[in-house]
Amino acid sequence: MPAQQTVVERIDPIAEGVVSLVLRAAEGPLAAWSPGSHIDLALPNWLTRQYSLCGDPADRTRYRVAVRHERLSRGGSEYVHRFLRPGRPLFVSPPRNHFPLIDAPAYLFVAGGIGITPFLSMMDATSASLLYVGRTLATMPFAGQLRARYGDRVRIVATERDGRPDLRQLAAGLAPGTLVYCCGPAALTDEVQAVFPADQVRLERFRPQPKEHLPNTAFEVLCARSERTVRVPAERSLLDALADEGYQVASGCREGVCGGCELRVLAGEPEHRDDIGAPAGRMYACVSRALGPRLVLDL
Amino acid sequence: MSWENEVISGGTLARRVDPGEVRARLGEPTERTRMKKSDRIDKYVHRFIAHSPFLTMATADAAGNADCTPRGDYPGFAKVLDDRTLAIPDRPGNKLADSFGNLAENDGIGLLFLVPGVVETVRVNGRAYCTDEPDVLIRMRTEASTPELAIVVEVAEVYFHCGRALLRSRLWDAASQDLAAEIPSMGEMVAEMLGGDSEAIERQLRAGYRELF
Repeated sequence: MPAQQTVVERIDPIAEGVVSLVLRAAEGPLAAWSPGSHIDLALPNWLTRQYSLCGDPADRTRYRVAVRHERLSRGGSEYVHRFLRPGRPLFVSPPRNHFPLIDAPAYLFVAGGIGITPFLSMMDATSASLLYVGRTLATMPFAGQLRARYGDRVRIVATERDGRPDLRQLAAGLAPGTLVYCCGPAALTDEVQAVFPADQVRLERFRPQPKEHLPNTAFEVLCARSERTVRVPAERSLLDALADEGYQVASGCREGVCGGCELRVLAGEPEHRDDIGAPAGRMYACVSRALGPRLVLDL
Repeated sequence: MSWENEVISGGTLARRVDPGEVRARLGEPTERTRMKKSDRIDKYVHRFIAHSPFLTMATADAAGNADCTPRGDYPGFAKVLDDRTLAIPDRPGNKLADSFGNLAENDGIGLLFLVPGVVETVRVNGRAYCTDEPDVLIRMRTEASTPELAIVVEVAEVYFHCGRALLRSRLWDAASQDLAAEIPSMGEMVAEMLGGDSEAIERQLRAGYRELF
């Protein structure tokens, strides 16, 4: 699906270092989305960044995201906070969902800081309990609204005041079949992964997990539709090698987190290096490579 | 196609006008050519630099041998760290060796920032040094790489320069790009000097450029 044209409608501070950004459709309705989805924002400084949608899924005229100004911003969140202005046209990708709600008898949501955003719409869609962890209340967007709307379903932990939450205790009392969703900084997602049973955990990471890979090897891809072969040298990503040959593959994070560069694999065994968990028959060209000498892609 | 324009060898003599006489003839610089100078980066300059994908960097060695190099990347690649400090990343192929060498001997630096479509430019002069500070480098990380080094510029003066030079040069007019047809490509120049197939050389050069992203 093509990029969608929007216009910045509002930028409002909602917590210390966090703004809410509302994008209005420039023409026609925006693509529908399900709780847990994110979009790519193509910023005026040519950077593309991913943000979870945290508005009302029923509103097809607007998208809302919340953006924390990272202290060591590479230029994305800094741009949104300092330079983006209402009225500015912005292209956004159609929503993608790597964090979908899967049917379960019960849910536990664990949010760290700005990782709260995907859960706003997920709370309405479920009767989940939410543990929302942040440094101080002032830095935690939506904390007051969540408590007001969902009452005891929400537990707020401000670590400077309350200390770190005891996840082991939560895990001990977890009803069978409960799915645990966690979005937040690495320290939190790592802890959740360590504490809860692996088959009950769904994670959305801000940054890719450090990983060990096989050494890069060269391989070739046969682009089935265009009947061309592209060589991917060891020192080049599949995404870049395709771009060199004129294949315009969409891309986003280039770190295997956002899923923007998904390709259909028709034959051959990809070596998946992403943090999304590529479904069968798909791969992410920014980080993933090939286990064998050759892949056949639907390009 | 060949490029047969003649270049006269050496021997030009032009009268040297001494600096005092130059000043007398030109008069004092007007406020219009140099808008207000400041020793700080203000919000307008910050916004300009945050949208600038290109700058030129002038340095000189201890003996005064001067050098000017282009730097470019995504808009805002040069980071405003605070109102008196900037940082410029070293990128592959952007080898800063010449500039680093000069700065080791002489820390004076002059920068000129451009934003496509804007006729005014921003000039920043100051003192510079090389850094490997992780908190600076991490802000310059792109998908492709993290720079190993960056130049930190301590701002001494910063100002908007008026747009006459860019207006007169029609630098941003689309029609000005017709000039490119009158310049041999690097491939043609190399092929003429060293022999070989200009198109093949040009392809290699383009491939080399791509590697740098």
